[in-house]
Order: sequence, then C-alpha cells, then structure tokens
Amino acid sequence: MTAIELYLTLGVAVFLLSLHGLMTLHDPIRRLIAVNLMGAGTFLVMVSLAKRTEVPDPVLHALVVTGLVVAISATAFALRLIIAANKDDATTSEDSAQR
Amino acid sequence: MNFALLSLATPLFSGLLLLLCDRALKTGTVAFWAIVSTVVSLAAAWLALQDVVDAGTSIMLNLGGWETGLAIRLRLSSLSALLLVFTALMHLLIGLYAGLSRQGIARDYWPLSCFLHGSLAALWLSADLFNLYITLELLGLTAVAMVALSGKKAYKPAANYLILSLAASLFYLLGVALLYGRYGELDVLLLAPRTEADVITRLALLLMTTGLMLKAALWPLHLWLPPAHTSAPTAVSALLSGLVVKGPLFILWVLWSEVAPPELAQQIGPVLAIAGMIALTAGGLSAMRSPYIKTVVAYSTVAQLGYALMALGLLLTWQLPQMHIALWLFVIAHGLAKASLFLAAGEMQSSLGTRRVEGLRGATQTVPVAMFAFAVAGGSLIGLPPSGGFLAKWVLLEPLLSQPGNWPWAIGVLLGTLVSAAYIFRVVALSFDRARINPPDINPDRVGHWLALLPALMVWGMALSGEWLIQLLAGGGV
Repeated sequence: MTAIELYLTLGVAVFLLSLHGLMTLHDPIRRLIAVNLMGAGTFLVMVSLAKRTEVPDPVLHALVVTGLVVAISATAFALRLIIAANKDDATTSEDSAQR
Repeated sequence: MNFALLSLATPLFSGLLLLLCDRALKTGTVAFWAIVSTVVSLAAAWLALQDVVDAGTSIMLNLGGWETGLAIRLRLSSLSALLLVFTALMHLLIGLYAGLSRQGIARDYWPLSCFLHGSLAALWLSADLFNLYITLELLGLTAVAMVALSGKKAYKPAANYLILSLAASLFYLLGVALLYGRYGELDVLLLAPRTEADVITRLALLLMTTGLMLKAALWPLHLWLPPAHTSAPTAVSALLSGLVVKGPLFILWVLWSEVAPPELAQQIGPVLAIAGMIALTAGGLSAMRSPYIKTVVAYSTVAQLGYALMALGLLLTWQLPQMHIALWLFVIAHGLAKASLFLAAGEMQSSLGTRRVEGLRGATQTVPVAMFAFAVAGGSLIGLPPSGGFLAKWVLLEPLLSQPGNWPWAIGVLLGTLVSAAYIFRVVALSFDRARINPPDINPDRVGHWLALLPALMVWGMALSGEWLIQLLAGGGV
C-alpha cells in the first residue's frame, strides 16, 4: 500500500465513522462536530488525490481551500443557531419553573 | 448571455446593497427595492430566453476570459433560460405577497430572498461540478437563514436542516473529488464524453446521488422536509417548496443525463422511477393523515417530487425526449401551484386563527378567495385539465399508455393522482361543511387572499402557452 492509498483509506474511514456519528447522535453540537469531521475526511481524500501526479495538483488544493471557507462559515452559522435555540429552551424552562 | 448574467447579478448585488444600507432604509423602501430588482431580473431573464431561442443552441461563457479547461464555464441553454424566468417570476409573485399582505414578514426577508434568487440563478447557469457545489451550499445556507426568520421556535428545525444540508453537500463534494481524481476534469461538457462505467465512477455517482436526493427531499430521504418547511414563515415556505428543492433536482438531472455513462444511467433509471412511485403514494398518504394544514401542503411536496423523480428515472431508462419535457413541466407547474397552496394555507391560518385542517370548516364561506386559491392550485397538483399539472401529466402518460409493456408505470402515475385527489378533496370537502363554521377574523386581509390566488391562476394559464413550452423544452434538450 502506497502512502497515497493509505491516506485515501484514512479519509474514507473518517468520513464513514463521522457519518455513523451523525446518524446515531442526538445532541446538536455533537452532530455538528460529526459533520465537520465528514468534511475533514473529504478534504483528506482531496489532498491525497492531489499528490497522485509528480507535481501536486493545484486545482484540488484550490477546491479544498474553498471548501474550508464554506465549512467554517456554515459551522459558525450552525453554532449560532444551536446556541440561540438552547438559550430559548433554558429561558422557557426557567419561566415554567417560576410559575 | 449578457442578459442572463444581468439576471443573475441584479438580485445578488441588490441583496448586498440592502444588507449594507440596512440601517439607513425604511422597511418599505427595502421591500420596494427588492421587488424592483426582481422585476429587472425577470425582464433580463426573458431577454436571455429570446437570445437563446434565436441562437438555436446553448450559449457558453468562459468567466474571466480564461481558456476552456481552466475557466469556470457558464452555460445558457433554453432550459436554464426558462428556469431563470421561472425563478424570477416566483420571487416576484411571492415578494408581492410578502410586501403587500397584512401578515407581513421580517425585514431580513428581503436581502435573503435576493440572495436565494441569485444563488438559484447561478445554479441554473453553472456547467461545472464544483461550481454547482458552491451554488448548492449558497442555496442551503440562505434557505436555513430564511427558515430561522420566523423566530425562536424555528431555530431547532433550522439547525437540523442546516446540519443535514451540510452532510448532504459533503456527500456530493466527496463524489466530485473522486470524479476529479479519476478524470481530471470538473467541467460537465468536457467530462461527459470521457466517463466510463468503472468502480470509482459508480461510487462517485452513488455518493453524489445520495447527497442530492437528501437535499431535494426525494423519497426515502425526505423526512427533514415537513418540519423545516412548516416552521418557516408563509412566504418562505412557498419559496422553499416551490423553488429550493428544484435546485438539487437540476444537478441530479445534469449528473445522470450528461455526466454519467449511458449504461449506468439505464441501470439507475428504474430505481429512481420506483422511488418516485413510492414517494407519490407514501407522501400522499402522509398528507392525507396529517392534522395540520401546512403539513398537508409540505407532504404534498414530497409526493409531487415523486412525479419529477419518476419522469427523470424513465428519461434515463428509455432516453425518451418526452420525459425530459414532462420533468421540467412538472417542476414549473408544481412550483407555481405549491406557492399558491402555501400562501393560501398561511392566509387561512391567520384569518381563521387555527393551524388544524379541522378548523377549515365553512372556509368556502368565510375565506372564499383563499379557499378558492387552495382548490385551484390543488386541481393542478391532481392534474385536472386544463392546468399546468395536467399538461405535465399528459406528456408523461402519453408514451406510457402507447405501449402495453409500460402500463405498470402508468398505473403508478394514476395511483399517485388518486392519492393527491384524496388529500386535496379532504380539505376542500371539509371547507364546504357549513354546519359548524369556524368564525373568521372580523376584517379579513383581502389583498393577501387575492395575491395567494395569483400563482394558481398562472398555473392554469400555463395550459394556454403549453405548446410553446413543449416546443421550447423539446428544441433545446441540453
């Protein structure tokens, strides 16, 4: 097994493991982390595919950079949504406790 | 091509401008500019359609003047021009409703709807697998932000929607990476002649199809759709069900009818068609049993997407041009009808003060225009002549009925029709029950009711321009 094949297998393994996590976990933060790990697996596959030629393929690197930008902004948005949703839960349960 | 770019750029830049000048403008001004930009985009899309019809073939544009192979290419085919017009028209109809009805909408709706419009326009024009991924992400993020507009109770469904949408995009991206690793191309037209039916291609196509089916809420990956679409504000639900789910469907069509090797497409065709048939029945039955008005409409989206999936599956199996026409007629007819259904449902909810189907007793008397809109749009979903839905279904059924070997598929279509008739008539029949009327709001919002009726009238008007639409779709298949 060459180094590229090893990294490709690792990438796919990370992707599948985190997919399992996404499907079995319930806590939204954990699910978000699982999605981020799926992204990490995908990017690992892309970066190792870039090394398949003598000169590393710049197109795949560009794709990974773009993908990272999308992943970071989407994660920030998701975190904000999850926090806002949980804050709402906390206040309503406090309200009902006071009553 | 310039007009198509104008149609894409206008909503994008007006969205940015509205966001930047948010503090300085009144809500009315924001709404006005958003609607003006939609009108400009609609006119530009119409001119682009004329251009592409005159040219007779699809027009390519290499962004930034780079050579083919390095450039990210945009493609204006007659189909993408038609979809540009459709997107702008839907935004205009729903924008008018959001701006003029009394129910109103949060002011952040306007820049977001501009972004949604821009990302959809970019999606229809893209001819590059990675560019399609970017537009898919833009579409997903904007859609989630719009779901969250309805306040705190929508945050949880919105967060769920976002996480699923991100996971689906990553499936697609992994498939793109594998395809690029195998062939070294991302451009759809350069990739198309080179693909072979080997293991990597199969795996990549399978991953991408899973992701896209999840995004388009195609059976069996549809379970996220009803909570997300029902918790959004009314105008947003209409946009989500009418337009957003059609984006991934378009990519699925590009992927299988152009990129995939024909022998693989013929293998997957029947699978997709059967999934479509199950979606029709299962979605319809869920719609029939649902106690809430908006959930009925949301499940009917799942069911109606079954028709589109079936048309796509049969297109791939037999490579029949009629199926291509049927697929896109379904998309347009369903978009208009669903906009009307969601707007009417929202109006009836607020006028009658109930979210339950049971609360619609006597709606023909208390909210006649909104109920009429619901029934008329429902008629197009069932496929009553002479609506747009009938047109699409007729094009789909014609090749199925002409050969006895295809009759099982025709039975599937007819069964789906029966189920859609059942869930529409359940609501309509209840609204004629004048024995125990649910009293309405004293002062109903007449403008809102009439604006909800407008898309439904347009879908029935589609039958008048039916021949033109069919020729347009037949002429420029790709």
